[in-house]
Amino acid sequence: MADVTLRNVRKQFGTFVALEKLDIDIRSGEFVALLGPSGCGKSTTLRMLAGLEFPTSGEISIGGRVVNDVAPGKRDIAMVFQSYALYPHMTVGENIEYPLKKRGVKATERKAAVLRAAEMLQLEPLLDRKPKQLSGGQQQRVALGRALVRDPQVFLLDEPLSNLDAKLRSYMRAELIELHRRLGKTMVYVTHDQLEAMTMASRIAVMFDGRLQQFDTPAAVYNRPANRFVASFIGTPSMNQLEGAVDGSTFRVAGHAIPIDRSRFVHALGSGTFVLGVRPEFVTIGGGDLPARIRLVENTGHEQIVTLELTDGTRLLARTDAARRLDVGQSVQIGFHPDALHLFAPEETGRRLNKDDAASVIPMRSR
Amino acid sequence: MQSPLRTLILNLVTWTLVLLIAFPLLWMIITSVKPQTELFRIPPTWFPETITFEHYWRLLSETPFLTYFRNSVVLASTTTLFVVCLGTLGAYSLVRFRYRGRETLAMLVLFTYLLPSVVLIIPLYLMMVAIGLSNTLVSLILAHTTFALPYALWLLRSFMEGIPEDLESAALVDGASRMGAFRDIILPQLLPGIISTALFTFILSWNEYLYALVLVNSDSVAPLTTGVMSMLISTFNIEWSLLMAASVMMSLPLIIVFAFLQSYLTSGFGAGGVKG
Repeated sequence: MADVTLRNVRKQFGTFVALEKLDIDIRSGEFVALLGPSGCGKSTTLRMLAGLEFPTSGEISIGGRVVNDVAPGKRDIAMVFQSYALYPHMTVGENIEYPLKKRGVKATERKAAVLRAAEMLQLEPLLDRKPKQLSGGQQQRVALGRALVRDPQVFLLDEPLSNLDAKLRSYMRAELIELHRRLGKTMVYVTHDQLEAMTMASRIAVMFDGRLQQFDTPAAVYNRPANRFVASFIGTPSMNQLEGAVDGSTFRVAGHAIPIDRSRFVHALGSGTFVLGVRPEFVTIGGGDLPARIRLVENTGHEQIVTLELTDGTRLLARTDAARRLDVGQSVQIGFHPDALHLFAPEETGRRLNKDDAASVIPMRSR
Repeated sequence: MQSPLRTLILNLVTWTLVLLIAFPLLWMIITSVKPQTELFRIPPTWFPETITFEHYWRLLSETPFLTYFRNSVVLASTTTLFVVCLGTLGAYSLVRFRYRGRETLAMLVLFTYLLPSVVLIIPLYLMMVAIGLSNTLVSLILAHTTFALPYALWLLRSFMEGIPEDLESAALVDGASRMGAFRDIILPQLLPGIISTALFTFILSWNEYLYALVLVNSDSVAPLTTGVMSMLISTFNIEWSLLMAASVMMSLPLIIVFAFLQSYLTSGFGAGGVKG
């Protein structure tokens, strides 16, 4: 077991800055997800932890040991690749055995360890097959087996589920959570799928444009997003963001004034443009005084996602019960749950201006 | 739907081509087993009335054919070994490492391949003389390596590019050194590429005539191509029966090599455990 620390890490490829001032502290035994859109630097971060890339500056340590100059094989880590990277000319058994072989483990011990790993992942009947004879899910398990066979301090997983179909993915998600619980090892998991991050991780590091945006628990990332980017990236459908101006204790948008509680936000708001954020589940249809028209109703069976259009053409989403009868083209009055409002500075990664904890968890029932 | 006429014409063309290519080979074999008396008979006999192996026997017992043969085997195998070793390491460097002038270097290597060999042969000869290697098998091995290597490098490079980098990264994380990963993972994956490169180089070196003619002039180090020619073809006489027997024996190693490796060449492709 080991904690993993990135201290002021910077990575540059030629003139392109892939990562800037990255500080992450991962506690021993934690399951941390590095989450962000493609090109945000999350995979580079993982490859640096593995020793496949080297930081331009900064310090990386695993288990209290600075590993900047330590070869990948000597870091006591294991990695699962997005492509699985199974050695095509070796059987499943040989694939799982390879890391042990490279560490000079005796043949009899190797056999026992391979069998143990195979049993844990239900791979015993496949040990003599070649990777190309396996299904995607089976290949995935072999890659996991190869990672856990030698009991490393830290597991690094690079989008391991992204090549699986939806059903298998949710099954493997549960398997991975279970595996983490059983092994209790530090795991760092790269994904662009916020659902994976939210359901699996104990903490999520949200990254964008080579910078860490927020590093916190799933609940905190969802309820108290640090900035506009996090707010829009976490949650499906994502948070509604309305541009407007703060005027006394109202927020003006589309010619209407939405009452806001000034005490919930930082004092020195000043004037100018701001962005009001509200999650779709806190938009009430027929409960406010903002006129809107229903543009689209998507019924998923257990809920409806409703696209609404304000008088100035701004669109926003609301989430309602599936049973409620709503028609496209219908004019409605909408409102926002007053405790669920977020205020952001207008830039793309504009800071959240709530006094913290203000928009705490609001039970879905009360919307 | 194909019309019967189209099928007929296609078949006709194909078989004409096959016959055109196969006939000289067939005639070579037939001539090599005909007795001397039957050789120039008109009209010619399609199938020899008596089959004899006396030409083969004479070639092996009375001429330096076996010396030439040995020289050719040594020459082609050593060249192949050199080219495969250098080509594999070179291709690995070109594909995996990032350094200044990498692409230029690769283009430059190919550029030497564009020059006709006659242009290179005099400088090469003078160089061989200068370093005291003229008229040795080593000089031919070096010369053949210089003209087979550029193509081999490009061939191996494209095979190498087909091997996902993740495989190597995985091996590194699994505890292998760079050379270890190269040996355990890259080489087995590259095998089809190595085999086709080796085949190409071996054939090129085995059949090469011009360099052998210029760089080597004594019987003891001459390969088959120049040795057999100078031995059997003189200004006044061509020993057809011996020449044909020699030709059959010269072709045999290539046919054997091909027969064994052909299946290897095709089966290696498309194997892969990487999805996505």
